Formats: sequence, structure tokens, C-alpha cells
Amino acid sequence: MDYYRRISPFILPHLKDRALTLKRYPNGVEEEYFYEKRCPSNRPSWVKTARITRDEGEQMTVCLVNDLDTLIWVENLASLELHVPLARAGSPETPDSMVFDLDPGDSANVLDCARVALILRDLLLELKLASYVKTSGRKGLHVYVPLNRRDATFEDTKKFSKSVSEVLQHNYPDLVTAKMAKELRKQKVFINWSQNDHSKTMICVYSLRAREKPVVSFPLTWKELEDSASRRDPGRLQVLHSEALSRVEKEGDLFRDVLVKKQKLPYL
Amino acid sequence: MKNPRSAPLLSKLSANRGKDAAEQGIWSGTISFSLVAIPVRLVRAVEPGRVSFRMLHSRDYSPLLRRMVCPEEEKIVPAGEIIRGYEITPGKYLLITDEELESVSPERSRTIEIIEFIDMKDVDSIYYDHPYYLVPLKGGEKSYALLAEVMRRANKAGLAKFVLGEREYLVAVKSTGSALSLITLHYRDEILGDEDITPEEARIEPEETSRMKRIIKGMISDFNPDKYADKRREKILTLLKKKARETSPVEAPEVEEEEGEGPADLIAMLQKSMRKVKKNR
Amino acid sequence: MAGRAIWKGYIHFKDVDVPVKLHTAVKEERIQFHLLHSRDRIKLKQQLVCAYEKVPVPVEEQTRGFELEKGKYLIVDPSELELAEPEDSRVIEVHEFVKTAQIDPVFLERVYYLEPDIPAKAYNGLASAMSEMDVAGICTWTMRKRSYVGALKVSGQVLRLNTLRYADEVIPADSLELKNIPLSEKELKIGSDLINQLTAPFQPQKFENEHQKKLHVLIDKKARGEKIAILRPRRLKPTASNKLLEALEASLKKVA
Repeated sequence: MDYYRRISPFILPHLKDRALTLKRYPNGVEEEYFYEKRCPSNRPSWVKTARITRDEGEQMTVCLVNDLDTLIWVENLASLELHVPLARAGSPETPDSMVFDLDPGDSANVLDCARVALILRDLLLELKLASYVKTSGRKGLHVYVPLNRRDATFEDTKKFSKSVSEVLQHNYPDLVTAKMAKELRKQKVFINWSQNDHSKTMICVYSLRAREKPVVSFPLTWKELEDSASRRDPGRLQVLHSEALSRVEKEGDLFRDVLVKKQKLPYL
Repeated sequence: MKNPRSAPLLSKLSANRGKDAAEQGIWSGTISFSLVAIPVRLVRAVEPGRVSFRMLHSRDYSPLLRRMVCPEEEKIVPAGEIIRGYEITPGKYLLITDEELESVSPERSRTIEIIEFIDMKDVDSIYYDHPYYLVPLKGGEKSYALLAEVMRRANKAGLAKFVLGEREYLVAVKSTGSALSLITLHYRDEILGDEDITPEEARIEPEETSRMKRIIKGMISDFNPDKYADKRREKILTLLKKKARETSPVEAPEVEEEEGEGPADLIAMLQKSMRKVKKNR
Repeated sequence: MAGRAIWKGYIHFKDVDVPVKLHTAVKEERIQFHLLHSRDRIKLKQQLVCAYEKVPVPVEEQTRGFELEKGKYLIVDPSELELAEPEDSRVIEVHEFVKTAQIDPVFLERVYYLEPDIPAKAYNGLASAMSEMDVAGICTWTMRKRSYVGALKVSGQVLRLNTLRYADEVIPADSLELKNIPLSEKELKIGSDLINQLTAPFQPQKFENEHQKKLHVLIDKKARGEKIAILRPRRLKPTASNKLLEALEASLKKVA
């Protein structure tokens, strides 16, 4: 697929050294898919891999998409979506970022997510933490807080994000819920703080999303989000692959800081 | 005994008290007289009628709880870090464990042993402290019924001692209808003497006594506690009803009372920051 | 000696006025234990904390709410509650007199001694009249912003004021829903005999707070560094229903 070839300079740094979870659609996006964490054994010899230990103790070989060739090969496996963990394969217990996965309930929408994301950004700023937002490629938004420190742990990021989510729920009970139960979610935005775990993966920034339209998980500026929220216009919050390509060429990688900015969570 | 003041809005004040009381055991053990042992549970016999309020945090109406706090750190101390001490000299404490406390009167902390029976008429009411009911536990129903019935027929009460928590009580076990009630009694040396307030003029003037008797005779009646209402409570209920009509209630946020879990400081700090953010928005 | 005087008032009914002073009549002696922090043995204090933030809340941030339904409260200001407080008056108004025996002990709350004023003529007359007629006066009064119902009683030559519980504060015995268990005549007879054998006059001076004494002993032992033997509480084996008669007979043999 041409998209991945053209986006590769921007997406590869975010994929590098991360255990890829392939989401494979062998018969096209309308049909069934399956997740695959294990790197297919019939891989080319130049595909970089890593061995990781799963929860039960067994070892597993995973693919690392560290170069264009591997990216294309993965693409050809009909793995449209690229999901990666928050930590790198070499240090699977050290998250590089803390994430807030904002997921709107059935009767909520991406504009509600935008509202929550903006409040979250303000709270994080008050705590002296910079944050970055991207579309999930579906109805939601993902807010990342880069840490990039060796002493970061999932225990800390989970604890912190859970507490932040509960504080938001407490202060905006009609808009936010920190609880998973579907009945509680309908008109609210669910903050899935439990994604901050070594076993969980997030859709990689710039990855395609398997939908009828070729939507991409794309970074947004906070200003764009503010404008969309105040104008109540969700249009800009869904980015097609063609738009993604023209934007990165103009603006570069808006998510670059997520890879390099060093921050420390306070009050822990 | 009906509550004449129950209105649908405030019916929670009167409904179903007895049932709740029987379900809330304060203590369970055995009551014995001679070689008969009856397994029982101690439950409340009285409930305060005061209108109860919940203390709330004025900022966001979160409910407030009573917790033990370290005065220096101004932080809640979890139950696992709380110990009991006796102050031997100011600031210096001797630690006492629950087991040590219980071992002081081990035979009395699980058993109410009736040592003798007395005539209730002989008991000066000044000795009465607090009433409870005893409820039979499985297997003890028959012995319980027997004790209640024979005491009722003989018009006697059983005298016993028992230990509850840190204290030992002298108690009277008597029958109330077909139930057994237990009243804790004060010890003799806890009753203050009244010699110093007894009138010096011990002379009783017969005409004065007769005058009083005449007036009293004209006011004789049967004891009916239903006649008397707690006026203050009524006023508060009226106030609340008016409020309910004129204002809407505030909603207290849902709070999960996890004990010991949860980074308490973190939430407090985040909430502080959240407040600033809300102000600026 | 009676406790200190805590209030002054006067008993009133028809054209009778008896000025009195209230004194506490009971003083409980207890060993005080304190709760300490296991880490540093600092004495803890009980405070109101926010259930959400889990930090102590200062008095200025505390407010009173009445729970209408789960999670919904009517906020009440202390000044509003003050309006509900009864007017303080000094009158102990007696509404009726009843036979003392009619007052079930479950209604009795706190007791105060009443000290007469000088001259004690009316006080003495009232006391002796009530004593001879074996009656108690049901009265109401307000004290320290609370309204009370009570029983005016006499013991010897001293009048006492006993606060009573309100009717709906007493949980009726029927609410316990006890089953009706049939008892045999034999069981009842032996039970009654047993009670008679174990009956004694009420001599409260016989009973001392032994536990308090033992607690003092325990504390002294610990203070000296002596080892404390941990004794397990004794649990009696309950008497089975079909063994009841047997147990009664054995008991009677023991005491007779």
C-alpha cells in the first residue's frame, strides 16, 4: 500500500523497537480479522525481532518494525493496523508515555471527547506536564504524556492515570466516567486508564484504521481541537490517509515530542 | 407504638426499626444459669430519635467520615497502624493488645453467667444504665423461651456480669413479653451519694403532704409515652419539609470507600489542581 | 457526694412551685485507653475527613446535610437549626402522675438528683406525698436547647428527675419476631424451682467492677515488664433442646 511507504519516515520512529501486534484482515476490512503478537515464522531473515517473556513465563518472538522493508512486509501480511505497546521490547516494564484513551459511549461523540481532552490537557498543564493528542481513527482520542525516563513504571502510570480519571469523573460526572461498565458509559466519555499496562497496546500514530474509509490515527494540535470543540465541528477530527500525507509533508511529525520529551509524574 | 409524625418524604425515620435492630448484633455469646447454656446475640433495644444529619464537605458535598488522624502529619492513619495504649506518664504509653484485654476476664467475654435471681422491685431504678434485647441463636430457642417464661411467672430477673469490649458490666436479664432483655447496671460505687443535698429540715409537715396528695390525686393517669413528642425534632422536620418543597437537594458525588487502597494524597493534590483549572476555565 | 449542680429550674403543676437544682447522680469510672499510631506512638485524634480526598477537613468547610434519598442531601445551615431550638425556660412542667411500676425501665435514660431550695417545705411535702402514693410525675422541660420528657421520682426524701426516651425511640419486643416454642409443665416447674433456689435479695454492694481492678493489675504487670499469659475466652457448649430437661434437673440437684 502506497500510504505506508510514503508515511514511513514519520511512522518508523514510533514503531522502532516495539513489539508489534499485527491486526490481520486476510479477506479485506469488511471481513474477519485476528490479532497476532507472535512474529510469523515464515518471515524474511532481515526482519528484526525480539524475544519477550509473556505473563505465563513462556518466551515469544515478536516483530520489530525498524525499517521500511519490514514495514512493507508487514503491510503485505494484510496487517492494516499497527498496534504497539507503550514500552519498548528491550525494557518491557518501562513505559515511555502515560496514555489516556478517551472512548465515547454509544450516545456520545468525538466532540465530547474533545471537551474531555481539553480539560485533561489543562489539568496536566497545571501539574506541569505537557501532553499530546491524536485521533484514535475511530470515535475517540488518545492523549499522551511523554515520560521517557528509565525510572518510569506501569505501576506509577496506571496509578496516576487512574487517579486523574477519577478526579475528572468527580468534577464532571455528566461528561466523564472512569469505570468500564457499559451501562454507565452511554452519554459519557470513558477514560480507559487501564491501557497503561505492559500487556496492552495502542494503535500506533499514523497507522491506518481498518474502516470503509482509509482513516488514520493522526496527531492534532491543541488549537485544532479547541477550534473544533468551540465550533462544534467534528470534521477536522477524522483524518483520511491522503490528508495525513499532505499534512505531515507540511508540518512534519507533530508527535515527535512524545518520543523525546522527558517528564516526571509529580506527587508519587 | 406508632410514630404519629411519619410523612412519606421522611418515612425513613420510623420504618422498620425493629427489624434492623435484630439484624445488627452488638455481641454474641452464651447466657447461662446453672447448667443450662443458651446461645444468644445482643441487639439494641433503643434507637435515638434525633434527626440525623450527614456531615458533608462544603466544596463538593462529598460525605465526611470519622477517621483517626495523626495530629502531626494531618493524615488519616489506616486501621492496621492503630494500636491501643495506656498513658502511664504524660506522653509515655504502654501498649495493650486485644488479646491481652480479652485475657483479663476470659470467662466473661463470651458468657453471661447468671449467678442469682432478684426481684426487680428491689432494684432502685437509679441502677439502670442501658437496655438491650437478647435474641436466641440457632439451637437455643427452647432454652431461651423457658428462661423467659419462668422469669416472667416468678417476676424475677437474673443478675450477671459480662465483659463487652474494654468494660465489664453488671447486668440484669429480665423478661419483656416473651423476649429476654438485658439492662446494664451501674456499680454501687458509681452511684453518687445524695446525703449532701438531702434537705436539712427533715420535718415533714402533714398539711403540706395532704395538700400535695390532694392535687396529685386529681392528676392521676396511666403511663402512656406516646403522648409526648420531641418538640425540637418536630420543628426540625417541619423545617426540612419546607426546605424540600422550596429548594432542590444537592447531589453528593459517588465515593468509593476503599480502605487503605488508593493513593489518598495523590487524589487530594490532583483535586487541588483541578479546582484551579476550573476557576480559570 | 452528689455531682455538681448543672442546672436550675422549678417543678410546676397546678399552683405548686418547687425550685430545685439538678445534680448528676452517676459517675462512671473507666480506665482510659488511647489510640496511637503504631509507627511513632503519637496519640491520634478523631476527625472528620473527606471520603473522596481522604484528608481532614477544617470546620469552615464542613456543612450539614439531611439525606432525602441516596446521594441527595438538603443542606442545612446551623442558623436554621437554631430556630428549631426550643426556648429555654426554667419550668419542669408536670402533666400527670402515674404509678411508678408502670414505667418500664427501658424508658429510663439519665437520672439527676434534685436539690431543694430553702425553705424546703413544698419539696418535703411533695416528696412524702409521692412516696406514700408510690407515684411518679411525668413532666416536660427544656434544658440547654433540648426538650426533654421525664419522670419526677422520689427515693427516701430526695426527689430525682429521670429523663425518658420518646416512645418511638424504644424498639418494641414484638419486632424481634421470636417464635412461639411450646414448653412442658415439667420443664417449667423445674425451671421455676431452680430460680427460687437461686433467688437472693438485691445487694448491689456485693458487686465490684472486678474487671477494672484486673485491668490495673495487667497494666502494672506490663509496666514492670512481666509476661502476660494470654487466656482464651471460654465458650460454653449450648444446651440442646432435647437435653434441656436433663440440664434443669441436674442444676436443681446441684443447688438444692
